Amino acid sequence: MNVLYFLIPLALLLLAGAVWAFFWAVGSGQFDDLETPAMRIIMDDDTKPPESPDT
Amino acid sequence: MSAGACFHCALPVDPRDQYYVEIDGQLKPVCCPGCKAVAELIRDTGMSNYYAMREAPQPGAGRPADDAAEWQVYDREDMLAAFAESGEGTAEATIYVGGMYCAACSWLIETTMARVPGMVSADINPVTHRLRVRWHTADVGLGGILATLANLGYDPQPLAPESAARPELLEQRAALKRLLVASLGMMQVMMFAVGLYAGDFQGMDETMQRFLRIVSFFVTTPVVFYSARPFYRSAWRGVLARAPGMDLPVSIAITAAYVGSIYATLTNAPAVWFDSVVMFVFFLTLGRFLEMRARHRSIDRSTALSNVLPNTVTRCSTEGQVTIPSSQLVAGDVVLVRPGESIAADGILVDGETAVDEALLTGEATPKQKSIGDTLLAGSINLDSMIQLRVETTGSDTTLGTISRMSERARYARPTYVQIADRIASYIVVAILVIAAAVGTFWYITAPDRAFVVTLSVLVVTCPCALALATPAAFAAAGTRLAQLRLLVTNGNAIEALARSTRILFDKTGTVTRGAPVIEEIEILDNNFDEKQCLRIAAALETVSTHPIASAFRTKDNDVAISEQSVAVGNGVSGTIENQVWRLGRAGFVAANPDSKGVFLGVEGKLVARFSISDELRDDAADTISHLAELGLRAGLISGDSETAVEHTAGKLGIADYNANCSPEDKLEIIRTAQENGEIVIMVGDGINDAPVLAGADASIAPAHGALLAQTSADIILVGHELSPVATAIELSRQTLKIVRQNLAWAIIYNAAALPLAALGYVPPWAAAIGMSASSLIVVLNALRINRFGAP
Repeated sequence: MNVLYFLIPLALLLLAGAVWAFFWAVGSGQFDDLETPAMRIIMDDDTKPPESPDT
Repeated sequence: MSAGACFHCALPVDPRDQYYVEIDGQLKPVCCPGCKAVAELIRDTGMSNYYAMREAPQPGAGRPADDAAEWQVYDREDMLAAFAESGEGTAEATIYVGGMYCAACSWLIETTMARVPGMVSADINPVTHRLRVRWHTADVGLGGILATLANLGYDPQPLAPESAARPELLEQRAALKRLLVASLGMMQVMMFAVGLYAGDFQGMDETMQRFLRIVSFFVTTPVVFYSARPFYRSAWRGVLARAPGMDLPVSIAITAAYVGSIYATLTNAPAVWFDSVVMFVFFLTLGRFLEMRARHRSIDRSTALSNVLPNTVTRCSTEGQVTIPSSQLVAGDVVLVRPGESIAADGILVDGETAVDEALLTGEATPKQKSIGDTLLAGSINLDSMIQLRVETTGSDTTLGTISRMSERARYARPTYVQIADRIASYIVVAILVIAAAVGTFWYITAPDRAFVVTLSVLVVTCPCALALATPAAFAAAGTRLAQLRLLVTNGNAIEALARSTRILFDKTGTVTRGAPVIEEIEILDNNFDEKQCLRIAAALETVSTHPIASAFRTKDNDVAISEQSVAVGNGVSGTIENQVWRLGRAGFVAANPDSKGVFLGVEGKLVARFSISDELRDDAADTISHLAELGLRAGLISGDSETAVEHTAGKLGIADYNANCSPEDKLEIIRTAQENGEIVIMVGDGINDAPVLAGADASIAPAHGALLAQTSADIILVGHELSPVATAIELSRQTLKIVRQNLAWAIIYNAAALPLAALGYVPPWAAAIGMSASSLIVVLNALRINRFGAP
């Protein structure tokens, strides 16, 4: 059980890291739009434009 | 009359037109060359997915503006300085994008923006409709960016930096951080708590127990001091205002449990309550977050007014004509207004003669004739000919600004409508505090060592959590369901008012009617012509007119050869066909006959046909009114339009109760009188002149195609082009209120049952926390039943 004295503080460190990363992401505006990203995943960006006849 | 809806903008397609666009191998009908061009642009850039992903469009949305050249003005240095912040070689601006209505639009805009040469970044917020762009000034100008948006069919409007500040974004960021800290904290502390509880049963070595408690303390601390801060603030405000709210017992419970747990940790007492604290904070924070997001959906006020006014105006001075941003106009300036443009400021007509459409301001559908010396109002639209206007007042001093202020005041003067939950909660909050204090005192006298634990149990078990969730959870579910039924709720409180409403008032123009004139009846006065010929000739004559009535006649393909066309302001139009002079307009103008009702067509002074023009009713207007009557609501019509027009419409809809010639003040007065008689009134309206009355009604609904100011004053925005969701909304609100009552009943029964047990010391804090969560869960699950409302 003594390993817990090491693992739990380690978990807390990781937790602090996760919180810091999230704060940074929120601060840089990555969570400002909570609606479009849900759509984006099902939209293909790779649909090719049709060949235009004059080129 | 229509053969279907335009594939791009959903306006009806005239079957005589032949505009098609090929998407994914299929020919789709479109209504005009503009829509065809936009649809082809979207297809050719490989973005036809937009059509598959978007929500059902509102008619007219995305229809391209006619004049894209005006955007070039924004390429100038002074315009850039007014609307953008420039830095080394790049500039940044915020643009309000009008006409976007779903997440597919924001995808289309972002993707298109990313392909503009020189674009550094483009982020759009689909909720606030604001696009933030950063670009290299050497490659593209602001005008080019705006023109690109206009080409996609949107209505871009650059915002001055001060109105571009986004407080709601900062609020959302802060709330998200608080929510995350609370949720991560809860997960961790619950994990340790499971360990501690298991230890209680199986035995745990004391060092490990202390260690887990100390770790719990470290994780709980940021939750208490960071995530829960808004509760303390609001509780403190309530105390200062001598109106303690729900946040006071919440704050006391959080602080007491936290301090008590620290004390227990230090003294090695048998139990700690860190888990109760974090769970409590997490649920409350989540509730607040959801509530905040609903609130942010409402359209922001700052852009609403300016959207009616033109961005730029042409100022005439001794140095000639210059285009300047409307915001730089001052009293005394002389401004040139072309036909079809909207007027930027209140002023006096100094040159020219024209008709203006003031429907947005007064609700009157018929254009008004203006000549030199007459007053023109900001926000009205110049219809017939080029005029010059001397500016008298600008900005918030204009009639438009006054109406806007009036709606602001009406909102504050709204009858204070006490929600069930608030009414019950305020009693319960006081009761909880009194009972907790009494129980604490009792135990302190009889068994001081258990006093704290028991008092804490009482506070946690009676935590108004289920009570606090009962209403918001049901309202949130109702909001989601209403959104699926094409009604956007911007003020959750409106749902209760809707459910209890006794009377519903409709505006006429644009609300129960389509707001666009149609030919109702053709009467042939000269038997040498038939209806078809008359219509073709009338359409050819009207091609030069910008008058709203002209749109009733307009067709796309007209083969009538016409020459010498002219507009006689206030009378009609004329033109020469096969060497004969044809006229269309008032009877007196067409054939020197005494004026009578209708629009006349005549050739060489002889009358040929009479057209009855009327504003067509929405297809489902009559059905909706009768459905509302079945629900026990009295429907009424209030309009700024003339007596005859309103009477006609009311007759067709079967509404007995109507008021005509109403100014915004009159409308507000009608609602106030009804409210004083104890009625709960819903107002449905779309114009700027409806804004005060929308703000003053108990609940208000505005169609999304109407004036933005009306939408900011409304509680619910009607997204589709049908009226029937109004009746559905009322049924759903009644269902919601029923569920709220069930939830409140449950919360009260639970509290009443648990309180005596806790007060007698039979409920340890952990059981209290579980009981509290379970009762909250039941409340939430019950609320979710609303999501199935109306589903097959």
